[in-house]
Amino acid sequence: MDTKYIRNFSIVAHIDHGKSTLADRMLELTGTITQRQAQEQLLDNMDIERERGITIKASAVTMEYEYEGNTYMLNLIDTPGHVDFHYEVSRALAACEGALLVVDASQGVEAQTVANAYLAVETGVEIMGIINKVDLPAAQPEVAAEEMEHVLGIRRNECFKISAKTGEGVQDLLNAICELLPGPEDRGDEETKALVFDSHCDPYRGVICYVRVFSGSLKVRQKIRLMHKGRSYLVTELGKFYPEMTPVEEIGVGEVGYIVANIRNLADVSVGETITDDAAPADEPLASYQAPMQMVFSDFYPGDNTEYARLRAAFEKLALNDASFSFSPQNSPALGFGFRCGFLGLLHMEIIQERLERENDVDIVQTAPTVSYEVVTRDGDVRRIESPSELPDRTHIEELREPFVRLEIITSSESIGGIMKLAEGRRCKLIKTDYLNPTRVLMEYKAPLAEIVYDFYDLIKGISRGYATMDYEFTGFEATNLVKIDILVNGQPVDALSLIVHRDHAEQRGRKLIIKLRRAIPRHQFEIPLQVAIGGKIIARETIKAYRKDVTAKLYGGDVTRKMKVLKRQKEGKRRMKSVGSVQIPQKAFMSILDTGE
Amino acid sequence: MNAYATPSDEEAIGLYLHVPFCERKCPYCSFYSEPLAEHEPAPLISAMIAEMDRYRSVRSFHTVYLGGGSPTCLPVQELARLLDAIRSHCPSPAEFTVECNPGQTNAEALAMLRRHGVNRVSFGAQSLDTDELEQLGRRHSPEEAIAAVRLARKEGFDNVGIDLIFAIPGSDLAGWRRNLELATSLDIQHISAYSLTYEPGTALDQARRAGRVEPVDEDTDRAMYELAIDYLASAGFQQYEISNFARAGFACLHNQGYWHNRPYIGIGPGAGSYFQGRRALNAPDIRRYVEKIRTGEEAWEQSEPIGRDERVCETAVLNLRRRQGVNLAAFRQATGADFLEVFDNPVRRHEDQGWIERTPDAVRLTRKALAVADSILCDFSAL
Repeated sequence: MDTKYIRNFSIVAHIDHGKSTLADRMLELTGTITQRQAQEQLLDNMDIERERGITIKASAVTMEYEYEGNTYMLNLIDTPGHVDFHYEVSRALAACEGALLVVDASQGVEAQTVANAYLAVETGVEIMGIINKVDLPAAQPEVAAEEMEHVLGIRRNECFKISAKTGEGVQDLLNAICELLPGPEDRGDEETKALVFDSHCDPYRGVICYVRVFSGSLKVRQKIRLMHKGRSYLVTELGKFYPEMTPVEEIGVGEVGYIVANIRNLADVSVGETITDDAAPADEPLASYQAPMQMVFSDFYPGDNTEYARLRAAFEKLALNDASFSFSPQNSPALGFGFRCGFLGLLHMEIIQERLERENDVDIVQTAPTVSYEVVTRDGDVRRIESPSELPDRTHIEELREPFVRLEIITSSESIGGIMKLAEGRRCKLIKTDYLNPTRVLMEYKAPLAEIVYDFYDLIKGISRGYATMDYEFTGFEATNLVKIDILVNGQPVDALSLIVHRDHAEQRGRKLIIKLRRAIPRHQFEIPLQVAIGGKIIARETIKAYRKDVTAKLYGGDVTRKMKVLKRQKEGKRRMKSVGSVQIPQKAFMSILDTGE
Repeated sequence: MNAYATPSDEEAIGLYLHVPFCERKCPYCSFYSEPLAEHEPAPLISAMIAEMDRYRSVRSFHTVYLGGGSPTCLPVQELARLLDAIRSHCPSPAEFTVECNPGQTNAEALAMLRRHGVNRVSFGAQSLDTDELEQLGRRHSPEEAIAAVRLARKEGFDNVGIDLIFAIPGSDLAGWRRNLELATSLDIQHISAYSLTYEPGTALDQARRAGRVEPVDEDTDRAMYELAIDYLASAGFQQYEISNFARAGFACLHNQGYWHNRPYIGIGPGAGSYFQGRRALNAPDIRRYVEKIRTGEEAWEQSEPIGRDERVCETAVLNLRRRQGVNLAAFRQATGADFLEVFDNPVRRHEDQGWIERTPDAVRLTRKALAVADSILCDFSAL
């Protein structure tokens, strides 16, 4: 097909701003699906995504559209809505020439919109501003358009005002896509280069890769090569999504489709991979490859130790369809056998967690999420650690680096003070404050990821009465004054309770933690000291008093059965706790380190 | 002999009879009872006698215990009828106890008990302090309790016990000491001293939940318990179970049967039995109970077989409540199991921490373990 009639574009939007509805309406107006089919938001495949209003995995749909007498091929490439999937979003955008940036007319620009717009700008695609939901009574399309211009530099008079729900303005938008967005460059004569921008695993056909052909073309039975992995495969099937998978003989230059080539494991073909012809390979791959970077880690232990194998099986299943999730066996002296899991970010973690519980009936104990750190040792070695327990001895550490992010928060102007105070306490450095209008403000921070990884979002939601939105992008590792806090329970250090924190906060965090532990650990027959140690020095102590009385006063004939049951329950309660020396620690105690206690 | 070593009926079997009547319910009490005024006692007594008749096959009962409720609130002729029937079943038990309410005890009643072979009386004194009794919702006075004890001695009872409750809301250590002083000044042979328990479903527990009653703090409760053990020992009452103290030779035989885990038969509504390898609980409702007996049904509403493992665990838990602890030879004989082998892990663990001590023939809780016994015994409650 002539590339001047091809349009490859994405829709990017904040959660609930109507991305999926707009996609449905386009599919309908182009006759790709019927209205009834559109009732199911086709682009979102998984339950959790639909429930949470998030699209996790990108997919692509090909539509045909008549405009001014010509048939256009419109390839709508869906993107994950969250910047945890930053890299996936950037790859989806890289497969496009244009992006539709959708903003809810009643909500205006949100933090995620900003983050997505930055990404689109970085990728160099043409951005079209869309103000959606203009049919809502609360819609303020002019205000939203002004924010678009102010924050994102999209001219307000160039924004399209639509209602994806009623269909108002969507036809004009389709016309504008044909009219205004550039088509792909015609490099059909060059060596084949196709970008893998997404993939998923099909139980029968193996890995299905979503590709965009930048030069040359792909044909069935062609021998292809994955340029980064260096492996070759035979193409067994090519196709397009209409939106059903429809086999084709060839995917031409500028086009989008899927490819099946007997690739067994998702891990064999990373997003960002370049596919070329095995016989006539390109010299250079497309400049895009980057391994998924896991920023957040958490240990998962089976609630019951006998469930270890089931937990492993559950993780294996999850990893099959999510190459950016990783897990490795972990053995904690305190918690027994479990797995250390790596996630792209917090949302990714929550999704995995939910899926684990929903799709597999496994009770899990999860430790506090932590970030990865970079350790520079005295001999100049730089390595990544994922848990405080991996930290080498103090004397071997030259420098400890932690991940930083660019954090965008959009909130109401009256909550600025509260959020600034919170952010300051979390070592966040304010880069800029930008009033979108007199009542809304965009705050940009440089923030240590560790400080916003757990409860920060909930807290700013609380401070702003639900108004604030936030998003962040990883910017790099930087050395800060970090120390490891060890917690000793009855004189014994408990690895699962260790923390890496900034020195300025260490004592306070340690003190709060042992106060929480004091409440979470039940009393024993003996007194239990809880201590905080930094670099081997005890800096704080709490004591769990021994219980003084725990005995059934009366036990005669008629009570035996009932009292035995009470004792069995007591024994069972002990069993479900983890023994550290002679101290039984309930699982909730391990979670108390999550809580920074604001 | 069967491999599980279930007790044979030849073994000393206890007979417990539950009279479920009270003048009115005490707010802390969780035993099944009903106000006497609302019931006609005769049909119940007849039903209890009929239930007892079902155990003709038991050749003799080692001990008899008539409790409640308040057996002494029964009309004299009904009580006499019940006592006659008991006597015809077991003419000469080694011990025959009747629980007496100090406010309902007079010389005639005591004499009648004596005539029917009762050889031990236990008074529910609860406290010898007026304010504490009021706090407990008891109607009798300390003077009545003291008078009742004297009367019993006068009527020829040489085995008299009283129950005392400590850690009553508002009480303190000094008050408890006065109770102990007064109690030990009486000519009695046995004292049961219970820490007040807030049993679920009782009026007292509801009051606690509603914040109307402030329990005594744990440290004071503990101190009171320790004081009881020390003070009573100094006054010649040896502790032989968590809550029970007696002068030499006067430990309650019937209750020792429970802690030994010997079989017993319970008669009456809400009474529990442990007989022929089953634990059963009679219908805890007078009407239903009477109906069941009348129609020839079993009296119990819950019954479960006690398997070998359960028997081992129950025996361990019950034995360990005794000051003498588990007698290893007797344990093996009763359960067929080797205590030290079966409970190797908890015994060693608790011994290391000083909660359990061993002699060549026995294993018992240490003195300091008594106050926190449940946290140790729970490790013996299942295999």
